Amino acid sequence: MKELAMAFAGIFIAVATLWAGQEKIEVFPGSPYEKLIIYENLIIFWIGIIGLVVIIGMKLREIKRIRNMGIDREEKDIPVLD
Amino acid sequence: MNCPRLRSWFSERYDVDGIRDLFRKKTVPAHRYEIAYYTGGTTLFLFAIQFVTGMVLSLYYIPYFEHAHGSIIEIVTKLNMGWFFRSLHHWGAQIAIVVLFVHLWCTLLLKSYRKPRELLWFSGFILLVISIFFGLSGYLLLWDERAFAAVRVATGGAGNLPLVGGFIKAFLRGGMDVSGDTLTRFYAFHVSILPLFTVLIVAGHVLLVQYHGMSVPLSVSGQTRKDVPFFPNVFYKDLIVWLIVLGMVVTFATLFPPEIRGKADPLAPAPENIKPEWYFLFLFQTLKLFPGQIFGLNGETIAILLITAGILFLLFIPLFDIKSQRGEKSPLFTWIGMIYLLYFLVMTVIGFVS
Repeated sequence: MKELAMAFAGIFIAVATLWAGQEKIEVFPGSPYEKLIIYENLIIFWIGIIGLVVIIGMKLREIKRIRNMGIDREEKDIPVLD
Repeated sequence: MNCPRLRSWFSERYDVDGIRDLFRKKTVPAHRYEIAYYTGGTTLFLFAIQFVTGMVLSLYYIPYFEHAHGSIIEIVTKLNMGWFFRSLHHWGAQIAIVVLFVHLWCTLLLKSYRKPRELLWFSGFILLVISIFFGLSGYLLLWDERAFAAVRVATGGAGNLPLVGGFIKAFLRGGMDVSGDTLTRFYAFHVSILPLFTVLIVAGHVLLVQYHGMSVPLSVSGQTRKDVPFFPNVFYKDLIVWLIVLGMVVTFATLFPPEIRGKADPLAPAPENIKPEWYFLFLFQTLKLFPGQIFGLNGETIAILLITAGILFLLFIPLFDIKSQRGEKSPLFTWIGMIYLLYFLVMTVIGFVS
């Protein structure tokens, strides 16, 4: 009887190990708190990117405006103060 | 930042003003197809992301078949932000190959390969092949059952080439079959041999772009247009594109981290419905179209020969397109480019759906 119980236990452990082995490997932090932090950071990251894009866009518009006014070219023979 | 002493130190040794003038004088043609110019810079930016994330991952990866799979699981599950860097490396590679294909087709359809830019086309094409091999070699490093089966199929397919096939297969695998030796070999390709060639060819490619200047499509070359300075106008636009691409890579990496399957077992049968990476799907689907035997010859060998001929034709297209060389419009080659594009898209979609 004891041997039979041991054999069953052995089979159970082997099957359980195989079943556990086939489980999907967690490739993303599983706890809700960590998930929240990650998604929150993703939103903050996008706000940063959009902010930078807006700033660069404003800078580009400024460069174009100066070019259109024609004051971006350096004048030759300009008097030097020092 | 103003450091007059540092500036004078450099000025005494190098022609700083000359270099500054060179940058200041660099202009980019402005026309309706100018969006194509940003694909090259974006590819370079994605390559930089791959280098940085790859360097971080290589600090923890163990390139030995017994530990490779376990080391990736450790990176993903135990290291702080390890999952993120792996996911970033994966999605960076996928998006880099998408952008590379877009860059290739923009160059092809706008005939930017025409005289005198043939070498630019050849170097870019070699970079595409290297990038695909980067993808294949990186895929095996995961050492899971799907990667193992996919590399077995891919290297086996190369083995069907007449004369050189056997040598290529044995060279890639490091033996008769995919084994631990293949992993070591692919690791060497992925982290040392391919990056070295990539850096050299990218440097050559960028230098050639600077030497020849931006190519202007034939349809707009006769029109009067206003060129814009590269610094700061185009550079700032490049920065905007890079920021958006970075945001996309980070978003994909966060929302869709790539899965890891069970450890590869060389003796186990290949998993069902195995598919290669998306950029090999058109090849995979083409191979499926051919029967096992054609006039007594191996169907797969004929398919691989035809695919090789198609790829070689694309590589040497600047030499065949005589009209473009003379600066004339060549609608035939536009159609050829469109057929290549459609074939790639249709076969990839069929391969994905089936």
